[in-house]
Amino acid sequence: MSTATAKKRISIDPITRLEGHGKIDIFLNEEGDVANAYLQIPELRGFEQFCVGRPAEDMPNLTNRICGVCPEAHHMAATKALDAVWHVDPPPAAKKLRELFYSIFFATDHTTHFYALGGPDFVVGPEAPPAERNILGVVAKVGLEIGGKVINMRRNGHHLIKMIGGRPVHPNWGLPGGVSRGINEEQRQEIEKLGREAIEFARFSLGIFEDVVLKNSDYVDLITGDTYTHQTYNIGTVDENNHANFYDGKVRVTGPDGKEHAKYDAKDYREYITERVEPWSYLKFPYLKKIGWKGFVDGIDSGVYKATPLSRLNAADGMATPLAQTEYDRFYDTLGGKPVHHTLATHWARLIELLFATERWVQLATDPEITSKEYRVIPTQTPTEGVGCVEAPRGILTHHYKTDERGILTAVNLIVGTTNNNAPICMSVKKAAQGLIRKGEVREGLLNMVEMAFRAYDPCFGCATHSLPGQMPLEVNLRDPRGEVVQTLSQYVG
Amino acid sequence: MKTLVLGLGNPIVSDDSVGLRVAAELRTRLAGNVGIEVDEDYWGGLKLMERMIGYDRAVVIDAIQTGAPPGTIHQLRPDDLPTQRSASAHDANLPTALALGRQAGMHLPPDEAVVLVGIEAADILNFGEELTPEVEAAVPRAVALVLQILAAPLSAREAPGPDNPPPGES
Repeated sequence: MSTATAKKRISIDPITRLEGHGKIDIFLNEEGDVANAYLQIPELRGFEQFCVGRPAEDMPNLTNRICGVCPEAHHMAATKALDAVWHVDPPPAAKKLRELFYSIFFATDHTTHFYALGGPDFVVGPEAPPAERNILGVVAKVGLEIGGKVINMRRNGHHLIKMIGGRPVHPNWGLPGGVSRGINEEQRQEIEKLGREAIEFARFSLGIFEDVVLKNSDYVDLITGDTYTHQTYNIGTVDENNHANFYDGKVRVTGPDGKEHAKYDAKDYREYITERVEPWSYLKFPYLKKIGWKGFVDGIDSGVYKATPLSRLNAADGMATPLAQTEYDRFYDTLGGKPVHHTLATHWARLIELLFATERWVQLATDPEITSKEYRVIPTQTPTEGVGCVEAPRGILTHHYKTDERGILTAVNLIVGTTNNNAPICMSVKKAAQGLIRKGEVREGLLNMVEMAFRAYDPCFGCATHSLPGQMPLEVNLRDPRGEVVQTLSQYVG
Repeated sequence: MKTLVLGLGNPIVSDDSVGLRVAAELRTRLAGNVGIEVDEDYWGGLKLMERMIGYDRAVVIDAIQTGAPPGTIHQLRPDDLPTQRSASAHDANLPTALALGRQAGMHLPPDEAVVLVGIEAADILNFGEELTPEVEAAVPRAVALVLQILAAPLSAREAPGPDNPPPGES
C-alpha cells in the first residue's frame, strides 16, 4: 500500500487496462469523519447502440462477450429473452438441458470465487498481507492437495460447458425455442460422473469453511459484527415451492423483516424495479419502485435491495436439493434465523449455492428426459418484445429486447448482476470506512477492510476485459467537504 | 517442444480485439508447423494457466494500456507485470495462477518460456468491431515479433537446428 497526502495524487500503475476500476471516493465532513463513500466503476460504452439494427438472434452470442466473468449467464438470459421475443415455449428437455448447463457453470464460477477471492480473506485471514491473501495462501494453509482439487473442479466444469455449449467460454448453443443440440448417453454418463465428484468437492469446501471460519470465534464475530451488516431488501428467483432456482421461476423480493414484499414474472420487472442516476457515477442504482429511493440507507423504508447468494437464500423458503437444504437450515440456525443481513455471510451462502448447483447438476444429468431429441421448437410467430432473466452468480440478470417484425433489434436494456448491488456496495464501503477513519486520521487496514466489504458481493465490473495483468487495483480518494482530494491510498501497485 | 500461441481479446470491444487479429494472421503464417498451436481465448488468470497445461512454451498476445503511444508493442514476461502480489476481481493473476498449477503438478511452461506481447491500445471501452488506425497498423509488426520470438532459441539445448527449424521455414 502506498499513501499520499495534501492533494498529491498517486496514480495506479498505468500498465493495467483496468486503470480506474475499483476507484473509491470517500467524502469527509468538516470534522474529518466519513460523510459518504462511493465505489466508482467505469463501464463499457455503447452496447445498446452496438446492438440496435442487428438480428435479435445474434444476442446470445453477442452478449456473452459483454462480460469476461459470466458469459454463460448472458448467453442464457439472452436465449430466454429470445424465447419471449418469438413467443415460443421450449420443450421440457431443452429447459432441462439449459438448466444442466447453467448448474455446471454456476458450480464452476462459485468455486473460483471462493478459492481465489473471497476465501482467502478468511482462510488466510483478514489481517494477512495482500501478498498472501490469494489462492496460494489457501493452499499453504489447507494443504497442497487443495490446489489440484480446485484446478480439477474448474477443468471438469469447463470441459462440460464446452461439451454441451459448443465452446469453452462463449457458448453458441442457445436458440429461441430451445438449444442447437442435445447430449447422448455417453455424454450423459460423463456429466453424471463428474457431477457426483463435484458434489463431494462442494461438501469438502463447506468442510473447510466449517473448520477454518466457523470454528474461529474471531471470524464469526467479524461476520456478525455491525461493520458488515445492512438491513436491506433481498431479491432472488424461486421455483413453484419458493425454493431458490438459478435458471427460471418467479422473482421474489423479501423485506428486511423477512416478509414477502413482491413476487413477479421477470417480464414485469419494470413495475417493481427502477433505476436512479447519480451524476458522479457511470452506473445506475436500481431500487424497489414501490418503496422508493431514500438515499444510500438501509431499513424497511428504503428501496435499496441486494441481489447476492445471501439474498437468494433470504428470498427463498429453502433449497430444492437435500444436502443444500440441510446446509441452509444450519446456516440460519447458526446465524440466528432468517433473514441474515451480514454481508460477509455471503461467502457461506455462496458455498451452499455451490452445493445446490452440483446436486441439481446430478439431478438433471439423471433425468430420463435429458437425452431426448426433442430439444427445440421452431418459432412461428412474429417477433416483438421479450424479457429474459436468470440468476447470475453475482445477482439477478435481466435482458430486455424489442424488435421490428423482421426480428431486427430496435431497443436493448440490460440490468446486470453487479448493478443491482451498486447501492449496497457503496453503503458497505461507507460503513467499513467509518470504522477506520476518525477526525481525518486513517487507521491501518482501511484498504483491506474496504476490499472485504465489496468483495463479498463478487462484483463484476461491467467489463469485457479479461485483463492481461489480471488484477484489480484499488484506489481510495479521501475528499474534504468541498470535494478536494486530501489523501489517496492505493493498493496492488507493484 | 510444444508451443502455444494464444491471442487474447474481445472481438466486439474495439482495440481489445487486437490479440485475436494477430492470432488469426499467425494461424495462417504458422500453418503446418508441427508443435506450434495457435488459438484464441478470452480469459486471463486461472483459465489462462489452465490453457497452458501441457505446453513447454507459450506466447500470449493481448491489448494493453501503459500510456505509451497507441500501437506500441511491448514484450513482457509474467514477472514484468506490475501487480505480483494482488488478487483480481474474479481471478488470480497470471504469476499466481502459474505457481498454483505447478504446485499441483501440472505440466506448464517455465516462466522464462512464457512471453507476453502487449499491443498498446487506444480504445478498450467502446463497443466496436474495428481497430483504431494506429493499432491496426501495429498488427503486422506484432505478427513479425511473434515469429521472431518463436524462431529464437528457448535455451541452448533447444536451439533451432536441423531437427528443430525456426517456424515458417519448415
